[in-house]
Amino acid sequence: MNPQADLLPGTLDLLILKAVSLGSLHGYGILLRIEQISRGALLIEQGALYPALFRLVRQGYLKASWGTSDNNRRAKYYELTAAGRKRLREEEEGWNRLVAAMTWALGSEAVQS
Amino acid sequence: MKLLAYLRSLLAAVRHRNEEDHDLDEEFLAHIQRHVDDLERSGVPRADAERQARLAFGGYARVKEECREERGGFWFESLWKDVHFALRMLYKNPGFTGVAVITLALGIGANAAIFSVVRGVLLRPLANQDEDRLLYLRQSVTGDDDTAFSVPEIKDIGANLKTIEELGTMSQLDFTVVGLGQPREISAGVADGNYFEVMGLKPVIGRLLNPGDDGPNAAGAVVLTYRFWSTSLQSDPNVLGKTVRLGSFEGTRSATIIGVVEPSVPYPVETQIIANIVTSPHHLSATMVQGRVHRMTEVFARLAPGAELESARAELNTVYAGMLAAHPEVYKPSDHYQITVTRMHDQINSRASTILWVLFAASGLLFVIACSNVANLFLARTVRREPELALRSALGATTAVLRRSLLAEALVLCGTGLLAGVLIAAPMVTVLGRYAARFSVRAVGLTLDSSLLWIGVALALLAAVFLAFVPRLPSADTSKGFGISSSSVRITGGSRRRLRIFAVTQITASFLLLAGAGALLRTLLVLQRTQPPFETAQVLAVNLPVMTDGRTPEQVGEFYREAQRRVATLLGVERVSTGFATPWRDARFLNLGFSFAIQGAQRENALDDPRARFRSVSPGFFETMGVPILQGRDFDEHDRDGAERVVIINQSVAKQLFPGQDPVNRELHWTDPVMRFIGISYEPRRIIAVVPDLDDQNLIPSQAMTIYQPTNQEGWNSRLFVRAKTDPYVLVPAITRTIHEIAADQPVEHASTLNDIRAEVMTPDRLNAVVFGGFASLALLISVVGVAGVLAFSVSGRTREFGIRLALGASPRHVLTDVLVEGLVMATIGVTTGAVVGFLSVRAIAKYTADFQVPGTLPLVASAVLILAAALIASALPAARAARVDAVQALRAE
Repeated sequence: MNPQADLLPGTLDLLILKAVSLGSLHGYGILLRIEQISRGALLIEQGALYPALFRLVRQGYLKASWGTSDNNRRAKYYELTAAGRKRLREEEEGWNRLVAAMTWALGSEAVQS
Repeated sequence: MKLLAYLRSLLAAVRHRNEEDHDLDEEFLAHIQRHVDDLERSGVPRADAERQARLAFGGYARVKEECREERGGFWFESLWKDVHFALRMLYKNPGFTGVAVITLALGIGANAAIFSVVRGVLLRPLANQDEDRLLYLRQSVTGDDDTAFSVPEIKDIGANLKTIEELGTMSQLDFTVVGLGQPREISAGVADGNYFEVMGLKPVIGRLLNPGDDGPNAAGAVVLTYRFWSTSLQSDPNVLGKTVRLGSFEGTRSATIIGVVEPSVPYPVETQIIANIVTSPHHLSATMVQGRVHRMTEVFARLAPGAELESARAELNTVYAGMLAAHPEVYKPSDHYQITVTRMHDQINSRASTILWVLFAASGLLFVIACSNVANLFLARTVRREPELALRSALGATTAVLRRSLLAEALVLCGTGLLAGVLIAAPMVTVLGRYAARFSVRAVGLTLDSSLLWIGVALALLAAVFLAFVPRLPSADTSKGFGISSSSVRITGGSRRRLRIFAVTQITASFLLLAGAGALLRTLLVLQRTQPPFETAQVLAVNLPVMTDGRTPEQVGEFYREAQRRVATLLGVERVSTGFATPWRDARFLNLGFSFAIQGAQRENALDDPRARFRSVSPGFFETMGVPILQGRDFDEHDRDGAERVVIINQSVAKQLFPGQDPVNRELHWTDPVMRFIGISYEPRRIIAVVPDLDDQNLIPSQAMTIYQPTNQEGWNSRLFVRAKTDPYVLVPAITRTIHEIAADQPVEHASTLNDIRAEVMTPDRLNAVVFGGFASLALLISVVGVAGVLAFSVSGRTREFGIRLALGASPRHVLTDVLVEGLVMATIGVTTGAVVGFLSVRAIAKYTADFQVPGTLPLVASAVLILAAALIASALPAARAARVDAVQALRAE
């Protein structure tokens, strides 16, 4: 339909961690932030966001707390924990290695043929 | 860290379910609102924006569910919901719920109670330190397989042992104690200084006996047992240092109370105080110190560090064999002297072990009955619920979810059953404790503890899981016979067979229990019907223990004569006499029997001499007991010390030793080697009378040779027998007052009529019947419910069949008989199986123990009839329902 890419399995968590690492956000804010940092290329299914958030909280990577938003509404904010920060670093490195490897692999095919 | 966070969220999830639910809503709605705001700002009309935002968010409820699942504690939460559902379902079926809960309560309660007793009596370690290293020594001889030791024997055995650290000895004695409240006779132990060390016991206050308290020159010292101190002396700490006078049959000594020992199991006899050797003149006498066959000392031993029971056994056997060889004149090879060494723990449990494990098995049987009964009900209900389950399955419920809802229902049932079970278990423990006290001293102080609850919880969980997994569940494959299409219940062959097997099992088990209980009940009835051979209702027995404090034997004898004379003058007293053993109660004295010979008889050696029970009675004893003198005369005032020695024999002696002759004026004399130690001479005694056999030892009278000596010749007084004209108990205060007028310190105790003593002795048999009878009635009750349930279910499943049969002209009576026969067939199969199983197990048990009673035919037939009758009643209700089936309605229901 549009140039938006489907998410690879397992990448949603990484994106959420990345989005939150730039500052604490509420759920809707995370959606917007991901859209923004992926320059609109990644579309998150809204329904999938919250279960992922709850999972990350349970795993101890995110911390949730209630606060007041800019327009004076009560909102639940998510921020990274120390474990989350570490996890994000590991995931980023892993992702970069994967991308590099994939690029190599796909690129080498073009050279050979 | 991760785990901690997980657990915390789990806990939070369970605890703040509602709160978090609210939070979820708030978070989601805020999200959607923001989206709406954004859309509106970009120009979408409000109504459209709301719709779009909701669509974008996705299935609201599903997201919420997924979040809950991610949050953790989800499974429990769902189970919680299922439990709520189950509660509603069960509430709507009060009949089913009631029967299932009561059945489970009985099964769980009985098992928890028995287990508490088994744990308390058999499994709990003794309070003694390192109790597994504590040993108990006995010896056995041909004719007496359980004997204590004499002091010379202990000296021989105990010297230089390598596997034994130390021996401790104790002998039981009754002391008349003056200085602790009312003067009274109490059961005491006389112990050496190593006893407490060997037993591994510590003082609660003060100190215990130590080797410094040994020897003839030590000061008298007394240690109180915890039970005595706490019950009789109200745990008074000021009792330490008090001086008491301890009177035993060879004199009275002073002793100081030095301490109280921690609570422990008294063994082999219940003792209230433990004193050092110097307090008993008898223990310092030559009889005790040198008499090799004067065996009254219990020997305990503590294994040396690193030594094993087997090596200790081996060493003691070697030492013992050496002793036997050194004294061939005492230890004749034909007597097969042997020493036995057992762990104290096993020794204490030995008598209780078998009976308690049997009871435990019986209660296990009851649990099986209860579970299979509830399983039946549950199974039947699930089959009836099949349409509902199939519907839920079609709507997407997985097998796991359905199983969970069954589990929830089972948990609710078993949980309620557990609560009710614990309530009934508590009084059961009391009854069982009293019952077990018959076999083991450890049951005496038995109390309820949390183990009862834990075993109950374990059983309830076990039952719940069993129940939840018994029924089959509908699978997605509808070809297997499940389906929502059929509106009436069709019972699959498998389910029906399972139901029948469960029902027959119940009947089999109940029949076995019932037959056992019937046999015990019969024993009790026989006992109760048996007439005692002498007067019991009007005769009062009173303990008047010997007070030797500063009195000569003549003075002691005079005291008893004076007591008789004065009590005889009281209003309402018909006859007074004395003796030394109260019928049925004083088992230790009643057991006394010695070998004797009649003058002029041919004798090989003393070992072949006949033995007779020994009794010492005053003039008037037979009259007091309402027994006639068949031949000759009663003892009288002239039969005193110094006068000609006389005896009275019973009919058994006359018949066996003087067949066809007149025994009066013939002579006999004691030949038993023990006589020397108890102050009775070997002189010839003239027989002056013959009395009927009056067995004062067994509840069912047997014929045993008995020889009566006059108390006035060689002593042996300590009991007063009073025959009253009216209510004997009215006389007790007057008797006590009269005795105290003669001797103020004299204990006057345990006054009761022979009738009451007999009832008291019969208590164990009554308890036997009550315990097993209780079990059997429970089992029967549950089985009746089980049979009725199975038949009711079978009838409801066959409604269509009955309808067709009735429509085709079958008479309702035919249908009725059909169902009744079905019930009777199940009962008959159960009873037959029970009889076969019972017969086989009786034969198996008989191989191991000789004293096993095979239940007579009467209890067996009675139980069979009872079971069949119960089955008939159980079948009546469903049968009546089957006969009332309305053919038209039944067919229309299809």
